[in-house]
Amino acid sequence: MTSSETGPAAAAPYAIELLGVAKQYGAATALQGVDLNIEPGEFIALLGPSGCGKSTLLKIIAGLEDATAGDIYINGRLANYLRPKDRDVAMVFQNYALYPHMTVETNIGFPLAMRKLPKATVADRVREVAALVGLSDHLKKYPDQLSGGQRQRVALGRAIIREPVAFLMDEPLSNLDALLRVQMRTELLKLHRRVGRTTIYVTHDQVEAMTMANRIVVMRDGSVQQVGSAAEIYQHPANVFVATFVGSPPMNLLGGTLRTDGGRPRIDGPVAVDLAGIGPVPAGDGAVSVGIRPENIEVDAPEAPGATPGRIDLIEAVGSDSFLSVSLADDSTVIARVPADAVVREGQRVGLRFPAAAIRLFDHEGNRITTKGLDA
Amino acid sequence: MANRPAASAAVLAAAEQDRARGARRAASERWLTHLALAVACVLSAAPFFYVIAASLKDKGSLFQYPPVWFQWPPYLGNYQRLLFETGFPRWMLNSLFVATTVTAIKLLLDSMAGYALAKLDFTGKRVIFLLMLILLMVPFAAILIPLWSIAHQLHITNTYLALILPPLANPFGVFLMRQFILGLPKDLENAARLEGVSEFGIYWRIVLPLVKPGLVVLAVIIFTDQLVSFVWPLIATTDDNLLLMTVGVASMRAKGGTNYGLWSAAAIMSLVPVVIFFLALQRQFMARSTSGALNQ
Repeated sequence: MTSSETGPAAAAPYAIELLGVAKQYGAATALQGVDLNIEPGEFIALLGPSGCGKSTLLKIIAGLEDATAGDIYINGRLANYLRPKDRDVAMVFQNYALYPHMTVETNIGFPLAMRKLPKATVADRVREVAALVGLSDHLKKYPDQLSGGQRQRVALGRAIIREPVAFLMDEPLSNLDALLRVQMRTELLKLHRRVGRTTIYVTHDQVEAMTMANRIVVMRDGSVQQVGSAAEIYQHPANVFVATFVGSPPMNLLGGTLRTDGGRPRIDGPVAVDLAGIGPVPAGDGAVSVGIRPENIEVDAPEAPGATPGRIDLIEAVGSDSFLSVSLADDSTVIARVPADAVVREGQRVGLRFPAAAIRLFDHEGNRITTKGLDA
Repeated sequence: MANRPAASAAVLAAAEQDRARGARRAASERWLTHLALAVACVLSAAPFFYVIAASLKDKGSLFQYPPVWFQWPPYLGNYQRLLFETGFPRWMLNSLFVATTVTAIKLLLDSMAGYALAKLDFTGKRVIFLLMLILLMVPFAAILIPLWSIAHQLHITNTYLALILPPLANPFGVFLMRQFILGLPKDLENAARLEGVSEFGIYWRIVLPLVKPGLVVLAVIIFTDQLVSFVWPLIATTDDNLLLMTVGVASMRAKGGTNYGLWSAAAIMSLVPVVIFFLALQRQFMARSTSGALNQ
């Protein structure tokens, strides 16, 4: 392998480029055909449920696992055959993987010491990095003398000190308690702005992914479901999985039939919606899933014209809002979000409106039906 | 006991009664526990005390009736004889040499093999591990004769090699170290691998320091096991200069006739290296464990 062998995008190399990356463990498929381009400096989140292959993908990029098929380019160079240390990526592990028998100073300086840099240089860099991650006063301590947040920073410091092409972070905040997690999230983002390195961040927490990443890669069962910004993924989910995985509570999905009556598309089913106002809808009749986010459902009086009648089964108040579980005539349930001060009570009959512009349609395989009007 | 203005006198009196009953029960449970522990203590310490006492008695008071628990002033003649008129010092040196050598080599071999079996992937790994487990179940008596036969063919009987080589093949330490190393998180090695640390480097710089408590446990087990081993040293060596402590002390019975005082002194003296070894390593039991490596 020569260094002149570069990826397809040789002119302005992506920081990381994945082409058809696949991984098999015996008969089990961990990853299939993953394609992904990551721009230098980008913050990418790999989001998905446990076992979706996101950590495996990270390990393949790091070189800790070999891909069964596909190519990995790092900084324009084919990395498949490079050893982990030659890939110029640094990893932050879920449980930090600090060396317990080494001080903070030695832990942070370890990557440089392993590269046989002069002791004085290492010491200088350790001081710089420790200041950057706020650990200057703890250099002589051992990991077991630090709090969870401080350990996390040691792990970050150890990654930063090498100045790698990319940081690979494997659920780095999942072991912190809720409050600290929010704090560290902000700190990580600030650090990313300051250091400006490409970051691939694995998480199963959609809030983390949505608040931190430039782009989110939603994964399921080893394959990429959708790549896009938080807004794109939330507003225009590529399929039923993304629609229900992202968002809390998830998007409501109801059965329905798409009909075109004299050129006017509409949905029939427990929810009847006239889609005429939103432009052309692909021709043809058929069963579809109708998706709508809870906040887009309008709650009205039960007898309001055009509203779908329902009954409030349960009210979950979360402080700022309340989520209403409303059962419809066919026993399906939808969740609607109303302001916390809305006057509602359990058992109350209401009428629900489903604005056509907020409706997302999915075909029988669960993939989004692209409609010009809806996806503009 | 805070202010409970609403509580009636009857409620307060009942609460007082409950409190007193609870305290009595806790006290009696504590006493019972202490009593049981004291009995166990006496039972396990009594033979030891008896041997110490016997080693400090002359022949007369050993067989005196009614027996004396402790002779005063203590008689040191047994120790004097043991150290200056028998081969005991030489036997002890032999034992220490063999035990130390075996322990040192085994710690290295067992931890390396344990690392390989715990963390590396290679063909035949399961088979090797299985063979080791099977070997663990074979009683020593079953391999005694073949072992002697091999040693004889290698012409190493009556040499230190005969005492040092066979114990090295005991797979127990490999098994123990494998279990210890299995407990280390994979991410620790992965982190080192990303920094370009070699496989040996990972073993030496990351794994070994973290399994120190395991190494100490293994060292104590091997060392004491070697010091008290008897059957193999008895068979493998006939040269007086190569006798180990255990065999030497046994040979005193054959050569010197019944002398309980002398034997007791030998028993006590043979404990000295074990006690020193144990005390020296005791602090290591409390070595920095893997706490703090991971946040879980």
